[in-house]
Amino acid sequence: MTLTVRGTVRALSELCVTVGVLILLLVVYLLYWTGVRANHAMDREVSALQDRWARTPVSSARPSPATTLNGRPAAHGTGSPASAAYREGQPFAIMYIPRFGADWHKPVLQGTGTDDLQHGLGHYAGTARLGGQGNFAVAGHRRTYGDPFEDFPELRPGDKVVLTDGVTWYTYLIDKPPYLTLPDDTGVIDPLPAPLDRSATPYPAPGRYLTLTTCDPPWGHSHRLIAWGHLDATQPVAQGMPRALLS
Amino acid sequence: MYGWIWRHLPGNAWVKAVISLVLVLAIVFVLFQWVFPWAEPLLPFNDVTVNGGGSAG
Repeated sequence: MTLTVRGTVRALSELCVTVGVLILLLVVYLLYWTGVRANHAMDREVSALQDRWARTPVSSARPSPATTLNGRPAAHGTGSPASAAYREGQPFAIMYIPRFGADWHKPVLQGTGTDDLQHGLGHYAGTARLGGQGNFAVAGHRRTYGDPFEDFPELRPGDKVVLTDGVTWYTYLIDKPPYLTLPDDTGVIDPLPAPLDRSATPYPAPGRYLTLTTCDPPWGHSHRLIAWGHLDATQPVAQGMPRALLS
Repeated sequence: MYGWIWRHLPGNAWVKAVISLVLVLAIVFVLFQWVFPWAEPLLPFNDVTVNGGGSAG
């Protein structure tokens, strides 16, 4: 009798210890290991982009959408980062946000699937191209996978969000403090952003806009944080980095 | 459970200790490589998009 009681207690305590160790390992995985893996993956995406841009002469940039590259339709070509269609899961731009740190830069991949967001920021399929008319919408992790948007609430009106596609530098200016909303508020990434709360509508007329989205609270999924900006300036990469990144 | 495993490992105490260590490392590897990456998207930290219904991402 004592033996079975002792055995039960032992089995139970071993189970508790095992579950405890498992949870601890999961925390290590989430806090540390996803960051290690994501930073590695993002560095790889950034170098892949820079390699690709280095191989593509800037002079051949910006053909009209109808132009063919090497005999292939531009939409399927990989030669020109400026005109080729963004390919799902592939990086096509690098984003810089000085507010998040002088050396903060992340690759932007096409698509917002789990896998895309583990390798960088994700561009919502169906939203405008970088620098294009409409709304260029990008999602990123607030926590885990390198915490790219960890400091999202620090964004303030006037903050610069600089992107490059290897041909042009695009400087967007944030227009409002981050806007807290619900996950089904999909209007925030409309070409003319139209949040559920009409009074929060950031812009009266169509233009070239940027929308950043992440989760809120940092470890939760009940809400989303949204930041809107408008295209302020563009310049060819040949002219060097925009001043926003040099100061 | 752990006592049962220990009793069924071959060799003397040192050999058992080494085998145990290898087993633990193997389990941690399996967890980090396959189990956690599978479980992680089921946790709420991934929902950073406004896709309605909080689809993956």
